[in-house]
Amino acid sequence: MSWETVIGLETHVQLSTKTKLFSRASTAFGASPNTNVNLIDCGLPGVLPSVNKEAFYKAIRFGMAVNATINQTSIFDRKNYFYADLPKGYQITQMDLPIVLGGSIEINLDGLTKTINITRAHLEEDAGKSIHDEFDGFSAIDLNRAGTPLLEIVSEPEISSAKEAVAYMKAMHQLVTFLDVSDGNMAQGSLRCDANVSIRKKGDQELGTRTEIKNINSFKFIEKAINFEIKRQIKILENGEKVTQETRLYDSSKDETRPMRSKEFANDYRYFPEPDLLPVVISDEEITKIRDEFPELPKEKEIRYQKQFGLSAYDAQIIASSKSMADFFEAALKKTKNYSLLSNWLIGEISAYLNKKQIEIHESKLSADNVAMLINRIDDQTISGKIGKSIFEEMCESGSSVDEIIESQGLKQISDDGAIEEIILTVINENPDQVAAYLAGKDKLFGFFVGQVMKLTEGKANPKTVNTILKNKLK
Amino acid sequence: MSIQFKTIVELRAMLDSKQISAAELMQESLGLAKKHEELNCFITMNEEQALKKASAINLDEKTTSNLLGIPLAQKDLFCTEGLRTTCSSKILSNFIPPYTATAVKNLEDAGSVTIGKTNMDEFAMGSSNETSFFGSVHNPWKKEYVPGGSSGGSAAAVAAGIVPAATGTDTGGSIRQPAAHCGITGLKPTYGRVSRWGMIAFASSLDQAGPLARTSEDCAILLNAMSGFDSKDTTSLNIEVPDFLENINKPINGIRIGIIKEFNLADLDSKVQERFEESKKTYEKLGARFVEVSLPNISASVPTYYSIAPAECSSNLSRFDGVRFGYRAENTDDLNDLYIKSRSEGFGDEVKRRILIGTYALSAGYYDAYYKKAQQVRRLIKEDFEHAFESVDLLMTPTSPNTAFKFGSKGTQNPVELYLEDLFTISSNLAGIPAISIPHGLVNSLPAGLQLIGNFLREDQLLNAAHIFQKNSDFHHLKPDLEESQ
Amino acid sequence: MDQETVRTICYLARLDIDQSKSGKIQKDLERIIDLIGELQRINTSDVEPLYSPLEMTAFMHEDIESSDNKKERFLENAPASNENYFLVPRVVE
Repeated sequence: MSWETVIGLETHVQLSTKTKLFSRASTAFGASPNTNVNLIDCGLPGVLPSVNKEAFYKAIRFGMAVNATINQTSIFDRKNYFYADLPKGYQITQMDLPIVLGGSIEINLDGLTKTINITRAHLEEDAGKSIHDEFDGFSAIDLNRAGTPLLEIVSEPEISSAKEAVAYMKAMHQLVTFLDVSDGNMAQGSLRCDANVSIRKKGDQELGTRTEIKNINSFKFIEKAINFEIKRQIKILENGEKVTQETRLYDSSKDETRPMRSKEFANDYRYFPEPDLLPVVISDEEITKIRDEFPELPKEKEIRYQKQFGLSAYDAQIIASSKSMADFFEAALKKTKNYSLLSNWLIGEISAYLNKKQIEIHESKLSADNVAMLINRIDDQTISGKIGKSIFEEMCESGSSVDEIIESQGLKQISDDGAIEEIILTVINENPDQVAAYLAGKDKLFGFFVGQVMKLTEGKANPKTVNTILKNKLK
Repeated sequence: MSIQFKTIVELRAMLDSKQISAAELMQESLGLAKKHEELNCFITMNEEQALKKASAINLDEKTTSNLLGIPLAQKDLFCTEGLRTTCSSKILSNFIPPYTATAVKNLEDAGSVTIGKTNMDEFAMGSSNETSFFGSVHNPWKKEYVPGGSSGGSAAAVAAGIVPAATGTDTGGSIRQPAAHCGITGLKPTYGRVSRWGMIAFASSLDQAGPLARTSEDCAILLNAMSGFDSKDTTSLNIEVPDFLENINKPINGIRIGIIKEFNLADLDSKVQERFEESKKTYEKLGARFVEVSLPNISASVPTYYSIAPAECSSNLSRFDGVRFGYRAENTDDLNDLYIKSRSEGFGDEVKRRILIGTYALSAGYYDAYYKKAQQVRRLIKEDFEHAFESVDLLMTPTSPNTAFKFGSKGTQNPVELYLEDLFTISSNLAGIPAISIPHGLVNSLPAGLQLIGNFLREDQLLNAAHIFQKNSDFHHLKPDLEESQ
Repeated sequence: MDQETVRTICYLARLDIDQSKSGKIQKDLERIIDLIGELQRINTSDVEPLYSPLEMTAFMHEDIESSDNKKERFLENAPASNENYFLVPRVVE
């Protein structure tokens, strides 16, 4: 029996506006509980929502980037249900007339490109957070997150494997960060994914029964959860049984999905147009402005890095693929002209360090100015590349400036011919046997002399100068 | 000189001529409230703060505000910071809002002093003030009779002369009908004229705040202060507020007044009809011309309203869940149990009925037939009004088909009986247009009200026509005999 | 209106109707539904629903922070809370 997997993804993107969708409370992450809560967010009697226009602008930017239709007139609807972290007893969302309709995104997997179509994207408010195991017998409600703007992006069920799902989410992540629509931080909940998974016999037109796996919050778990679910569903179907349509949660500790606590009645959300908010109309002028101020996307950066800075296609692609890396690169370019050395460092030492620490560059102690300074000091031979590496380690640890480190540790490269010549003469005088052996033909001993010079200069001698003068003196 | 039954204009003159101080005025008002406690107009008094504020008022202060030092009662639907706000419901019986409604703030900024919060039908659902958790309000004219609702407490407080004016809210007639039953003047402004921020929502697309007072002129004074764009209520109109007193004395010669054919006034109680015909004659003497107009869909107003209002309220009242404020039931097993018990114990029967109907009208399978259908008919009704206003300036109807009734005599067996009483007032809420009720005499010793309906944003015309009527009649001077009815 | 429907809408609204009152409430609801059912007689084909009397579009605000700073007041007002959170009976997901 040949089975086919059909996956549709619902992505919730938390917009990086400074304030909430319907109130002017801050959206800053990590605030102490219930401090980013205005009267509206608390759902008190008598309060009314008011629309944050920046949320619309970000949603529109997204829509433009995926070549979707922008509904210049859109409306909000109420989705009614009861839950402790839903203060009003309804969520304000967009049902019938969302801001973005259609569009598509390209995903890359194993060198192949596939287009995934988008059904729609709409704005809605996030709910608060419930904490269930901290207080004995109680669940605690924190409304900081309540009202944060979300863009819910629904894909067509065109994804065929867990790997494709991850590629889609990665493409989404890249897009929303480059567009400055969201910080895309999955761990912090700025990017969430619900996966709708179903199985059907290969060749079948009709879709199988689907289950929804909710709130998966890492790329790794997306792949694991979907793979588990595919296996589970195939097993059920092979047994001749039916898959139950239900909502499931992924348990990462057990690497399995399990059904959410079932609700007694199916929820009827009783959607109706939000009477406290009038239709939102985005003018042609606003659309033009958003288009004019459109940020540069990875592909464009790739091309520009090659043209303007002479980077190789490979290097350009790597640096352009991450917003924080690209931003860093462009900021550093303001302070240094050695583009290739800078990109080498970024792709080499710096990426290795970031991977080891599992952080992105903007989360490290590295600043663009400081890295630029490092490049410049190597470039102007104040220090050698090797010394540069140890300075780099210090920079990562303490964040101290390159010049400070060079000063405090006395790491300036010795390039003065006279000084180096003196040291070379000392080495030659102290090692007569090796000199004799070298002159007799043991060429390999050249490295020994270089090593001795480096030892005496604590590695600070300019390697090129050493080579030149040493060659000269060992004739 | 007693301040009871005085208008704002009269009190202003007394204050300005130093006959009385603001503190004394407040003291007297509070005294009257105490004296007529049995009417049950108030739920919470603001005695301490009111006296403090009144004492601090400097009448020499240069101000053009008519409201400086005037005591006002606020319907207990408006949030008032630090002062309990209950909506006459058990579920909010301990609620102290952390903020004040814009409409109230505007009145207080204009110098008025809030004496207390008035009784009402629970969550503004009702036309008789019989659904209050804090007990019914008594009509000052006949104590075993209802004052009307939902702004029953505000209407009774003004009718009894405790305060010269009060705020109310009108979703289907809740300012105009109690004003009519209590023999005073009440205005529902154009939807969006007054900010709804802080006004606890019943039906969002229908609710409007407005004044109740002894005269049209006093209503204009209140409306001037209450109105205006508020960025916190994006359904409030972003337009300049006219001075509603400016043209209030304009003669009304040539004004065209429409009588709505479909209301079949000939079917009404003969005495109510008689009053209506008399008032028609008065207007004709003042230069008005009467025209019959047809609003073909207007008889559908009541079913339309009772599909939309409960639907919106069922959603608006979901926030009363016992979690963040208000009444929470004890001994609950889990979250769902907490919701069910808190809401079932906290809400009264009428509120529950409306929430259930509203839930039904919005539910899957019924939405198109009830809620959506009603909103379509609503558009037809609005268009009927627009069409009518092409040939008339105002429309005139009795405010209510009947005068006040005895407690418990209507709607107890069949709630629809009471709903049908809203026939004349409901349509203006659906269309969002302004309307005013003024007293025009007694029927069986109880006040009857005359309603004028105006075009969108034309409160000025309503207030003008009402004021001219009041300048040429005495009905608004009639007072209940509070000693006898005791 | 059958029992099942009444039970469903009661649950959706998180309301429990007292056994002694349930008969009357059901009757009341039926009467109201009859009332609003009258609208079926009116022809509304091609009529756009009117969701708000204002034929206007939304006013939108700028993305500038303005905090109400009322955390203590919110938690004070709550039926159950500690210095940081609103509390409800423990929810099992």
